[in-house]
Amino acid sequence: MPAYDLQINGQAYTVQAEEQMPLLWVLRDLLGLTGTKFSCGMGLCGSCTVLIDGEPTRSCVTPVESVVGKAITTIEGLSPDISHPLQKSWIEEHVTQCGYCQPGQLMNAAALLQKNPHPSDADIDAALSDVLCRCGTYQRIRKAIHRAAEEM
Amino acid sequence: MKNQLSRRDFIKLVGAAGGGLVLGVYLDACASDAPIPATVTPLSPTSTPHPPFDWAPNFYLKMDQDGILTIYAFRSEMGQGIRTAIAMLVAEELDIDWSSVRIEQSITDSKYGDQLTGGSVSISQCYMRTRLAGAAARHMLVQAAAGGWDVDPAGCKTEAGFVIHPDGQQKIFYGDLVESASTLDAPKEVNVKDASQFKIVGTSKGHWDAPQILSGKAIYGLDVRLPNMLFAVIARCPVFDGTLVDYDDRAAKVVPGVKQIVALDDRIAVVAENTWAAIQGRNALKVNWEGGGNTELSSEGFKNAALKYLTRSQPKENTLELFYKMPYEAHATMEPMNCTAYFHEGMCEVWAPTQSPQDVQRAVARIAKLSPDKVIVNVPLIGGGFGRRLQTDYAEEAVKVSMAIHAPVQVVWTRDDDLQHDFYQPMEIQQFRYPLDGDHIPSARMSGGHVVPTGAWRSVNNFPEAYGVQCFIDELALTRKRDPLDLRLELYKEDERALGVIKLVAEKSGWGSSLPDGSGRGLAYHATFGVTHVAYVAEVSVNEDGNVHVQRVVAAVDCGQVVNPDNVAAQIEGGIVFGLTATLKAEATLKDGRIQQSNFHDYPILQMNEMPLVEVYIIDSDKSPSGMGEMGVPPIAPAVANAVFAATGKRIRHIPIKPEDLRA
Repeated sequence: MPAYDLQINGQAYTVQAEEQMPLLWVLRDLLGLTGTKFSCGMGLCGSCTVLIDGEPTRSCVTPVESVVGKAITTIEGLSPDISHPLQKSWIEEHVTQCGYCQPGQLMNAAALLQKNPHPSDADIDAALSDVLCRCGTYQRIRKAIHRAAEEM
Repeated sequence: MKNQLSRRDFIKLVGAAGGGLVLGVYLDACASDAPIPATVTPLSPTSTPHPPFDWAPNFYLKMDQDGILTIYAFRSEMGQGIRTAIAMLVAEELDIDWSSVRIEQSITDSKYGDQLTGGSVSISQCYMRTRLAGAAARHMLVQAAAGGWDVDPAGCKTEAGFVIHPDGQQKIFYGDLVESASTLDAPKEVNVKDASQFKIVGTSKGHWDAPQILSGKAIYGLDVRLPNMLFAVIARCPVFDGTLVDYDDRAAKVVPGVKQIVALDDRIAVVAENTWAAIQGRNALKVNWEGGGNTELSSEGFKNAALKYLTRSQPKENTLELFYKMPYEAHATMEPMNCTAYFHEGMCEVWAPTQSPQDVQRAVARIAKLSPDKVIVNVPLIGGGFGRRLQTDYAEEAVKVSMAIHAPVQVVWTRDDDLQHDFYQPMEIQQFRYPLDGDHIPSARMSGGHVVPTGAWRSVNNFPEAYGVQCFIDELALTRKRDPLDLRLELYKEDERALGVIKLVAEKSGWGSSLPDGSGRGLAYHATFGVTHVAYVAEVSVNEDGNVHVQRVVAAVDCGQVVNPDNVAAQIEGGIVFGLTATLKAEATLKDGRIQQSNFHDYPILQMNEMPLVEVYIIDSDKSPSGMGEMGVPPIAPAVANAVFAATGKRIRHIPIKPEDLRA
C-alpha cells in the first residue's frame, strides 16, 4: 500500500492508503480527524468540504493521491480556538441546530469570504446552495456570513 | 401543573403555596451515584480539570469546588436544543451564571424515567423536575452557608453563584460550599421560582454545544473511535421483506482492508479496517435476493387501490368531496444511520445516535442475551433524528456484527442504505366529504400503502392532517365566496389560542394587501399534538415554467412559557424548511417492491437559494410550556398550496407540487 505525505492544518502527516481512497476517509478513519463529515459520499451535499490550497473541495470524492503536496485545511484547522470570525458569528447568530453539516457550511463560507470579502445574498446563495442542511439553518447562515464579513 | 409530573419523575407534587410550588422531593443524595459520562466524549474546550471533589446532590447535576455546575442531559440532542434547555431550567433555579454551566449526556438509566425523545414532549415532561433538581441543590447550598454564618437560611439569598448573607454584604461562593453541602440531607420540600423571577429561562442561549460543533470537536455517532475498532457496511435486500438466497464473497474478500464477511440472518456485513474498504467490499459482493410477491408492489398501485377503497360509496348530496395525496417521505438525516458496538466479557456497550436509548438497551439485551443492566448505551450528539432514530434497527445490526467478530465495530450506512431502508412517513390519500353548509372543522378519512416500513416522521400524522384540513378549508371558503381568514376565524371561534395566532399572523403578514401578479398568499393553522399553536402565511411567486418560489413565511406561535426564544424561532425556520422539501421537492417512490431514490440528486432537499425569508412572532404566555421540535412542519404544506392557488388559480391536491403541475 503506498504511503502519502500530507500537509493538513499546517502539520505533516504520513499515511498508508489505497490510491483511490477519498481524502474524507483518510481524515476520519486513518488520522482521527472526525470534524469533516460523511453524508452523501457522492459530492452532492457538501458536509465533507475541506479547503485544498484554499479551494472548497468535496473530500468524499477526492482521492488521497491527488492532494499530495497541497495545503489541506479541515474544520479543525479553521482556527486554533474558535476565533475565526465565521465561528464567532455562527455562535452569535445561533446558527447550529443538529450541527452535522455545519463544518462543511463553515469551510465553504470561509472560502467565499477569502475571495469575496463582502458577498451579497446572491453571492452567498451561489457559493453555498449545494451545501445541504436538513435542519434548515440557511437564513442564519446568510446572516452569520454578513456579520463575519463586517468584522473581517 | 399536576400533569407536568409522572410517578417516574422521582419527585412528588404535594401541594402549592405562595408564588412557588411546595414539593416533596425524593432526590438521591448519594454522591457515588453520579452518572458516568459517555466514555469517548472529549472534554469541552472550556472545561477545567476536575478538582478532587464533586458534589452530586441528585442525579441531574453535580458541582465542583470551582463552582462549575455540570448538568446531565437525559434526553437526546438532535438539533432541537434539549440539552441546552434542560441546563437552562436547572441553572435557573440554582441562580448560577450561565458561563459556569457544563453539560454532559447522562447514562441510559430508568432513574431518568423514559428517556425517549419524541413527540416534542421533553420540555413539557421535564419542565418541573429539572427545576426541582436545581432548586433542591440551591436549598442545600443556602443551608450550608446559613449554618456557617449561624443565621436563618430564610434570610439568605442567592445570586450568580453566591449565597448572600441576610446583611446583604457578606457572600460565599458556591464552590466553597459544596463540601459542607454534601454532608446535608436533600430537602423534603422545596420551592421553585415564579416565572416572573426567571433570569435565564426566557432569554436566548443558542445551543451550548455550538463551540464544539463549530470546531469539529463534537462527537456524533459516526465520530466514535475505540481502540482496535473495525468498520462494517451491510448489504440488505432492496425489496422490502425479501430474503437472502445466496452470495459470492470472493471478490469482496480480496478488497484491501476487508477483514471478514459476516452473514447475518437476512443481510451480509462486510467488516474492514476502515469505512472506505468496507464500502468497496460491499460493492464487490455478489448477492442473490428473493423479493417474492413484493416485487410487484408500487406507489402507483397503492394509490389506485386506496382510491378504489375510498370511493366504494357515493357521497351524499350537497357534499363537497375532495382528495389530497401525499407520498412516502424519507427522513434523510444529514448523518446517516450508524451505531458502534462492543460486545465483550458478558456485557455490551453501544454508542447509538438514538432517540430512544432504553429501547436500544432492551433490543441489544435481547439480541446479546444479556440482562439490560449489562448493556451500556451511550448517546452521542445526533446529526438529525426527525423520528428515524426512534427505531433500533441500526443498533441491532451493530451488536450482531460485534458478537460475530468479537471486536468493537462501527456499522456505517451509506446514503443509499439510509434512503432505501428507512421507516417512511406513510403514503396517504385523504378523503374529505363535508356538507356544503357544515360549520365544524373538517376531518378526513385516510388510506395508504402497506409492506413499506413506516414510522414517525417529524410531526407524524399532524403533517397530513394539517395539509388536508387547511387546504380543504380554503376550498370551502372558495365555494362559499368567503375570505380564507374570515372562515377560519369562524371555524375556530371556540379556540382562543388558535384565534390568537391566526389573528397575529394575519396582522404581521399584511393579509389582504396586494401582491404583484404571479404571486399569492396562503394561510394555514395547526395545533400539533393539540398543544402548540402555529399559524403561517406563505407568500409565493410562480413563474412561467411553473417553478414555485416561496418568498416569505410569516409565523405566529403559541407554545406557552418560552424557555429559549431564539431556539423557538429556529425550530420554526427548521420546520418550514423540512416541510418545504416535502411540499415542493422530494418524495420516496416504490417500484418493483423497492424505494427508487438513492441520494440527494433524486431525493433533493431544500437548498439555500430556495430559503424563504422567515419571520417568527411568539405569543407572550405564562401557560405550561409545550414542545417545539415538530410543530413548525405541519402548517407549511397547506400554506404554500393555498398560496399557489392564490397566485395561479390552480388547486394542486397532491404534494410535492412540481413545475409540471403548474405549467400554463
